[in-house]
Amino acid sequence: MALEDYRDDCTDCSRCSYCKWIPLDHIKSARFARACPSIEYCSFQAYSLGGRLSVALSLLENRIDYNDQLKDIVWKCQMDGACDVSDKICRYNIRGLEVMREMRFRLVEDGQMLPQHKPYIDNLHEEQNMMMEPRADRGEWADGLDVKNLTEEKAAVVFHAGCRYSYDKELRETARTAVMMLRDGGVDVGIMGEKESCCGGRAYQWGYRKELNASARRNARAWTRAKVKTVVTPCAECYYTFKRLYSEIGLTIEVVHVTEYIDRLIRKRKIKLTKSVPLTVTYHDPCHLGRLGEPYVPWQGTRKKIYGQIPAWKPSRPRYAGAWGVYDAPRNVLMSIPGLSLVEMERIREYAWCCGASGGVLEAYPDFASWTAAERLAEATATGAEAMVSACPWCEGALADAVRNQDEKIKVYDIIDLVQMAL
Amino acid sequence: MALSRDAYRALEDIVGARYISEDPAVMDSYAYQWLAETVRPNQSKFMTRPEAALLPASTRDVQAIVRICNKYKIKFKAYSTGWYFYGAPLSEGVIQLDMRRMDHILEIDEKNMFAVIEPYVIAGVLQAEVMKRGLNCTVTGAGASCSTLVGAACYHGSGGTSIYTGELRENLLGAEWVMPNGEILRTGSLGSGCGWFCAEGPGPSMRAIIRGALGARGGLGVYTKCAVKLSPWPGPAEFPVEGTVPAYRSPLPGNFRAYTVAFKDWDSLFEAYYRIYDNEICYYAHRQWTMLGADLGPAFWMLYQDPTKSLDDIEEFARKKEVKKLTEEMRRSFQLVLVGMSQRDIEYKEKVLERILEETGGWKVEKWLEPEMEQFSLLYLLRLGKKNLNFVYTGGWIGNFMQSGTPDFVKKYEPIAEDATEKYQQTGLLVDCGADSMMGCVGSIGGGGQCGLEQFGFYDIADRRSTAAAVAWMKHCIKEEARHNIPPGKEGMYLAVGKTHEELQKDLARQPITHTWQRKIKRAIDPNNLGDRMYPTLDEK
Repeated sequence: MALEDYRDDCTDCSRCSYCKWIPLDHIKSARFARACPSIEYCSFQAYSLGGRLSVALSLLENRIDYNDQLKDIVWKCQMDGACDVSDKICRYNIRGLEVMREMRFRLVEDGQMLPQHKPYIDNLHEEQNMMMEPRADRGEWADGLDVKNLTEEKAAVVFHAGCRYSYDKELRETARTAVMMLRDGGVDVGIMGEKESCCGGRAYQWGYRKELNASARRNARAWTRAKVKTVVTPCAECYYTFKRLYSEIGLTIEVVHVTEYIDRLIRKRKIKLTKSVPLTVTYHDPCHLGRLGEPYVPWQGTRKKIYGQIPAWKPSRPRYAGAWGVYDAPRNVLMSIPGLSLVEMERIREYAWCCGASGGVLEAYPDFASWTAAERLAEATATGAEAMVSACPWCEGALADAVRNQDEKIKVYDIIDLVQMAL
Repeated sequence: MALSRDAYRALEDIVGARYISEDPAVMDSYAYQWLAETVRPNQSKFMTRPEAALLPASTRDVQAIVRICNKYKIKFKAYSTGWYFYGAPLSEGVIQLDMRRMDHILEIDEKNMFAVIEPYVIAGVLQAEVMKRGLNCTVTGAGASCSTLVGAACYHGSGGTSIYTGELRENLLGAEWVMPNGEILRTGSLGSGCGWFCAEGPGPSMRAIIRGALGARGGLGVYTKCAVKLSPWPGPAEFPVEGTVPAYRSPLPGNFRAYTVAFKDWDSLFEAYYRIYDNEICYYAHRQWTMLGADLGPAFWMLYQDPTKSLDDIEEFARKKEVKKLTEEMRRSFQLVLVGMSQRDIEYKEKVLERILEETGGWKVEKWLEPEMEQFSLLYLLRLGKKNLNFVYTGGWIGNFMQSGTPDFVKKYEPIAEDATEKYQQTGLLVDCGADSMMGCVGSIGGGGQCGLEQFGFYDIADRRSTAAAVAWMKHCIKEEARHNIPPGKEGMYLAVGKTHEELQKDLARQPITHTWQRKIKRAIDPNNLGDRMYPTLDEK
């Protein structure tokens, strides 16, 4: 696909501003009614989905040229998809998020990259990770763990830690806990250790289309060699990449987020939670596990007009509107923990506010990323919860940083940590 | 015609560098507008590009900007949420004021039942906040994403609950207005320092001037604050929402009932309108579901309940036997919500409705009585958070007719609207969803007494022939209206945006003297002519 293929999506925007708000039916207060960090932080219309559709049209019609402001418009966005959910409530067929993605591809392919991203992409090419770290250190996170090494052995399930858990020393204990929890739950699981490769999803979301294919090929080869049937990951971004993007380019393998797997194990009583964890927590839905984590539906169709002028596809084109993301499994796990009570924020599930870390924003616009996380933190503290829980290292990192920056007392956990406390 | 550097710097000094831009991409995001394609050369989606866009944060900012505009003779145009090409610059050399930073609910006076708001407070937000205090506000027909201040001070402002909560233009109380000459006028009781509670005084009563013919739509200064009247809400403090996106629904308590009521013909339907006015039983009364066409609409509403389906599946739904039955059953229908202030009250209202239906030969449409359908109705109708569905078919939508008046008057133009539409649907250039695609308030003034029907038409923006047909349809409707001695409807207002000054003057000359008065008003408060013709004036002969 190319930006030109989305021209109708651009002209179809009715400029209604739904993209700026959570689904209007769900608004509970003035404070937490907004959906899109980008327009809230940057203010000008161009920084909303509707605005970006008009900018894309403007590009297609050669009304504007490349400049720094255009790059800012294109990249100062987490690509979290909240706008897309709200938009599709009424505008069924507009593919807003895809248009924004195509704009990034186009700019990168035309050599108009964001300079702040370059070192990360170079590191991906050379060291196969997005953390500016050497490849050789990737397996360190699992040092001393008694778990199969799938470069030498075979297993039905591969535990893919992802770049953040592999390299972030503050967070990696969660990954260690998770993989051992699966093993102890009777799962035939292994890891790739230092041979694990970046999923390529972050680069893809930043506009680097080809990097996804390269990563997918590497990972697919390794999984095939190890006879893997299922990929389990504790990272929401990796989950999205495997579940959705790899499927889009033709790779099919069962992809499960670790919270889904643990939910299954709890229900089968393979994991028994016995200790009380007397905490009031609120759950932050990671965008890439929730609204963006819907399964890919293979589709090819032809367009025709029905009832005179309604553009329609035969067979029906799948809609990705946030309905079928992973929302319940993490909540089920939390509700299984004795003594723990869950209180919800105002913006949850398909209309959750982003943590700020995705889409290349953390790397290129750290102030904007911090502001976005602080907004989420304010929403969490308004619930009265003692802790914020998430299911993604990027979210956990962003929210923990926000707590530190804001000097708040609320704790930040990954669900795995809480499950471990209850064992 | 770029702004002079002196002017730009002066404006930048007011809002700060972060909140002013003249970058072409940013400007195009302001120029892009719904309906632009119907009036712009080559069916462009872009209105005239503004010279700069600014985001003021306060009345003080707005006044300072307007004073600079007067100093440098720069035209300016403010918009709130920006939905409608009326809000865009209509000529070169205009700066756009984007009011989104002025988004505060300044006060909710629970006892006196009003709220004081800034321009970027949308109805969905205001409603959520006032419901916590047992109050409700009018959500305009355009839906929950629209500015309440705009509905009250700049445009028409009627909606489905207007029969109970009033039209926003009726509900306007005190207001703060930065006039085009840079002076601030505080209207009504606010003007004499007595608070926000009354539009008419003590203090300057400006309601009629603010409203003018149909609101200035950004063409005559900037309204920076206003108070709007609120109404009782005997429901939960937080609207409960269930269901999978997009088919959200709301299980409200037993004192809420939603019905789709139908009639064998238009005479009976309009007779029911009169009886509803007389008995004052409705909290909400509006013809809503037919907006997607009496022939095709029911299929869409059933499809919408299934989150696994897409618009591509609508033919499959239309073929279903039960949908065909439903389509016939609700062909002449409208929606109403009864709300009891007590159990006895809801029982009473139910009985009155039964009697009205009995006397007019109407019925409650069975499908919409199912609990989930009723819950969907309650949420949709009372919050109006999905009103943009009128764009769902094609992305291109126009509402023609909508002249409001008594039910007898509206009944007179209903067949004209159907005839004028059918022909265009049959060409295949507009969506063929049924010539009755009419929606509108059952009672658009608090208590009822006046109604309207807006004939919806759907065209594919991406299809040049379809867009051209939509324009031709609007022109045809105006001709048909004239032939039947009916004034032009909304289509006349749309097309006016694209007319030359001379063409517009010709139109205005045929209309009541309002536009002569508007010229005098404009001359007094906009001496440098910095507004635009969204506040239309008739030239002096």
